[in-house]
Amino acid sequence: MCSSEETDLLRLEEVFSTTLARTISLILQPLLLADPEPSDPCGKECLRLLQQLHESAQRLWDVTEQSLLSLRQRLYHPPSMSLEAVLLLNNADYVLQAHMEYIKSYTDCLVVQAFQKVSKKRSEFWRSQRKALRQLLSSGSSEGSVGTTLCQALRQPLAHHVQKYVLLLLSLRDTLDEHHPAQQLVMHAVTLFGNLQSFMQQALDQAMATQALWHSLSSRLRDVLCTPTHRLLQDSQDIPVVVTPLRAERVLLFDDTLVLLQGHNVHTFDLKLVWVDPSQDKCVLHILTPEDEFSFCTRDPQGQVVWQWKVTQAVCQALCGKKDFPVLGSGREPSVPPECRCLAYTFHREGRLYQATYDGEWSRAKPHGKGTLKWPDGRNHVGDFYQGLEHGFGICLVPQASEDKFDCYKCHWREGRMCEYGICEYGTDEVYKGYFQAGVRHGFGVLDSAPQAPQPFRYTGHWERGQRSGYGIEEDRDRGERYIGMWQADQRHGPGIVVTQAGVCYQGTFQGDKMAGPGILLCEDDSLYEGTFTRELTLLGKGKVTFPNGFTLEGSFCSGTDKGLYTQGVLDTTALPPNPSSTRKRQLGLGAFPVESRWQGVYSPFRDFLRLGCPGELQEALLGFHVQSSRELRKSQEYLCCERSHPKDCVGSMEDILKELLQHRKPKALQQYLRKVRHPCGLSWIQLLQTLMLTFQATYSGIGANKHLQAMAQEEVKQHARELWAAYRGLLKVALLRQGQTLEEESMETRDLQVHGLLLPLLLPSFYSELFTLYLLLHEREDGLYSRGIANLSLFPDTKLLEFLDVQKHLWPLKDLRLTSNQRYSLVRDKCFLSATECLQKIITTVDPREKLEVLEKTYGEIEATVSRVLGREYKLPMDDLLPLLIYVVSRARIQHLGAEIHLIRDMMDPIHTGGLHDFLLTALESCYEHIQKEDMRLHHLPGHWDARELW
Amino acid sequence: MMAIRELKVCLLGDTGVGKSSIVCRFVQDHFDHNISPTIGASFMTKTVPCGNELHKFLIWDTAGQERFHSLAPMYYRGSAAAVIVYDITKQDSFHTLKKWVKELKEHGPENIVMAIAGNKCDLSDIREVPLKDAKEYAESIGALVVETSAKNAINIEELFQGISRQIPPLDPHENGNSGGIKLGNQSLQAGRRCC
Repeated sequence: MCSSEETDLLRLEEVFSTTLARTISLILQPLLLADPEPSDPCGKECLRLLQQLHESAQRLWDVTEQSLLSLRQRLYHPPSMSLEAVLLLNNADYVLQAHMEYIKSYTDCLVVQAFQKVSKKRSEFWRSQRKALRQLLSSGSSEGSVGTTLCQALRQPLAHHVQKYVLLLLSLRDTLDEHHPAQQLVMHAVTLFGNLQSFMQQALDQAMATQALWHSLSSRLRDVLCTPTHRLLQDSQDIPVVVTPLRAERVLLFDDTLVLLQGHNVHTFDLKLVWVDPSQDKCVLHILTPEDEFSFCTRDPQGQVVWQWKVTQAVCQALCGKKDFPVLGSGREPSVPPECRCLAYTFHREGRLYQATYDGEWSRAKPHGKGTLKWPDGRNHVGDFYQGLEHGFGICLVPQASEDKFDCYKCHWREGRMCEYGICEYGTDEVYKGYFQAGVRHGFGVLDSAPQAPQPFRYTGHWERGQRSGYGIEEDRDRGERYIGMWQADQRHGPGIVVTQAGVCYQGTFQGDKMAGPGILLCEDDSLYEGTFTRELTLLGKGKVTFPNGFTLEGSFCSGTDKGLYTQGVLDTTALPPNPSSTRKRQLGLGAFPVESRWQGVYSPFRDFLRLGCPGELQEALLGFHVQSSRELRKSQEYLCCERSHPKDCVGSMEDILKELLQHRKPKALQQYLRKVRHPCGLSWIQLLQTLMLTFQATYSGIGANKHLQAMAQEEVKQHARELWAAYRGLLKVALLRQGQTLEEESMETRDLQVHGLLLPLLLPSFYSELFTLYLLLHEREDGLYSRGIANLSLFPDTKLLEFLDVQKHLWPLKDLRLTSNQRYSLVRDKCFLSATECLQKIITTVDPREKLEVLEKTYGEIEATVSRVLGREYKLPMDDLLPLLIYVVSRARIQHLGAEIHLIRDMMDPIHTGGLHDFLLTALESCYEHIQKEDMRLHHLPGHWDARELW
Repeated sequence: MMAIRELKVCLLGDTGVGKSSIVCRFVQDHFDHNISPTIGASFMTKTVPCGNELHKFLIWDTAGQERFHSLAPMYYRGSAAAVIVYDITKQDSFHTLKKWVKELKEHGPENIVMAIAGNKCDLSDIREVPLKDAKEYAESIGALVVETSAKNAINIEELFQGISRQIPPLDPHENGNSGGIKLGNQSLQAGRRCC
């Protein structure tokens, strides 16, 4: 059976439903009709609020009807419905929500005095309705104005109803035994509606206080501040505060803003962007906002406590986005607003950020974390911020005068300025990739002009405070020239080399972008000019020309327009051919740019990286990164994404890499490890290697492929090997340090051994094509003679060649059945010593000088083995026998560019082998090479006259 | 530990005078603890004590044929010593020796130690070059001289001991701190070829 309390509840709902229906028809509908088409904005606002109130009243009535229905069902068909299923208990929150919505709409109207305003429009009507209204009011006759009566009529039944709810629910609970399934639900509903009473009370109080506030303000201020949603939470007239350094005669804390009033000035601060900071002084409270920081000074500590609590709770509530229930500051854990918030804000104050909008993460009133900063002129920075400034990786787009052109900076920033590595793609299509400091280019960097620029160029080198300074390479594509040398204040200054497309080389001293003083000019035909030069590389004044044939011309030179070079001087035709090391093979730049200091700007960021202990998050800033092009970036509308290896991943992977490094310390393992490593954000020295490759190509490929630069290139590769070894050691040191160990010192000898034995073979493939080209060019002439020698020797059948080379007959592998098929004498030529020949040919299959020498050693072994088989006993070949045989094998192996190969091997060979086995092997090979170049080998000075048919 | 000093020694002399026989004898007579790689009889190494140093001889053979003479500089550059061999039974080989000495004086490394070996002294009955001539000549050029027999192992040790003695000892400071290996290469590196 149903209890009497349930019946009472039903009755209560019935009464409330009726009251609501009457309220709607008697008050709300007429109110809406009072001024259905208002002309003034104020009227429109009132109408909107009243419509809103009407809607929420309708909804409340609906909900009450639903509740009523469920109670009726319960009452008339108890078996079909348990107590727990009653809407009021089962879904108390739903019922509560309708109440709160109504309260919100009602108080909104109250704040702007909507009832008073609208009721004035049809005062006669309301007077006539007074009686009906009075019936709605449960107690006491209100003799106030129509507005006040309306207010009460809209509020009182609700308050009464909620109060009754609580009472009835409480007594309902008393009728239920402890284990009744509805017990919990009833208690919940009691709590909710009890809280609703407090909520309603606070909402009314706040609304009344806010409404009252408007009267105390000047009309001007009222116009600015008066909005229906504003609720006054604290007024400095109640608890006085003194504001410094801003001046304010009154401070108002609303539920969404903090307002400082000074005369007619209103200073409004969005609470979401307010940080509260208590101070040491018990009467002072610091307020931080994006553009202002100020303090509230109260008369006593209690005042400070109230203000701090109120502001803090108001900030929390504002951030939360809905009213605290039941009252301000209740039921939230923790009760302090978060330090970090994600919001948008437009700056108003004159300055760097004037009118810029920041959307992103904030901390303590400053942009901090990830965010986007947009200026009204289209400038746009997406990236990391730190205490209000760009800091960390960021992409900045700066629009140019023409619509679709941007300067795009993909850089690392520090304290608002570009710092460390960055890529800048300018609207002019110029591109800079390199390092920055304090917002300007500084350190190593590559600047490419626009491809279609009138004078396209590329500068690869060092920068200082935005200007080219130090060692740098500039390629002038228009003139077909490359400058390799020193710079100062954006000009060529100091020792420098100019190489032209035509193969002409100039070396001299530059001043103010021009050549100055004496210099040398090496022409393509190997003639050498020494003297002073004009900008156009022509001799001017005293000078000397050494022609390839050894003639020299000394005198005074001048050049006129289309008259060629003029001179009056002495031609010496008696001199011997010039020393090739001073003309044909002259090497430039060796003393002028010491190899140790040449690419400091590339090495130093890595050193910094090591010095800081390899912080993974800085790897990118220090060692560079790769991002998509700005064009794609512009296309993707929200410049937010940028495909980089994620720095956070690097932190982890750095740890792994260092650990892995420690597991591969044994030479073999290390070699394999270094070979296979191609980690995307990788073993950081791969990045270093890539940059070094870039500089190498910038210097020595294309126009720079000039034989006079071979020595520079060669020493550079070795230096890179040394530096990369040091870099590896540095990483190892950090890895060990992280495990609390130290790296043992290494002696000079072991270092050299590792550099030549481990690093050079590893690096050479990266530099090989450019380097080998230089060797090719340098030894072109000798290689030409050698090729002709080989070609002539190839005309000899095997036996004739052996005879010609004075190989002793008993060493000829002839008619010997014990020989293997490769070694057996055959009428087909090129079959003797085939195994040795084929072995030697493998020398070009590797770039590793050590492996090449091993091939060579095997070749000697093959020769000796063949001879031993021929003789039927072990035979140690003395040089008298070995050299002719070796010449035979070399001539049959027909290796192209052998001179270039030999010299490259020699230069890259570990100096520790000097005088040793490898040196000997290489010298023997070189002597064969030299011998084959000799005239009697090239020209048909064959021993005796022989007929090719004779052999067959 | 005693310092090991690498000394490059170049063998010069006519073909057939027994250059490599001398070296083979020298290298094979004593058991070498370190099995060093060799290239037949053309490149061999042997370590011998000398005072408080160890001398590791890196012995480079050359081809004695006339047509290969012009290649010799590649072999003797950077040598600490040269062993020039002649056949006491062949006057011609002594003439060739003189040519080698002259060439070394003109183009060889500075301060190269020259040792003259008159080989095949076991065949003194068919001798063509008197020992006196050789000694006088050696004295005139400041070179060591011995008559050797690779066949009978006569004076082979002495020849190389003589060379060892002629090699100026190392600076004691340098000896102290380098802990061991390879100090004899200053001359090798200095002798870098110009193209």
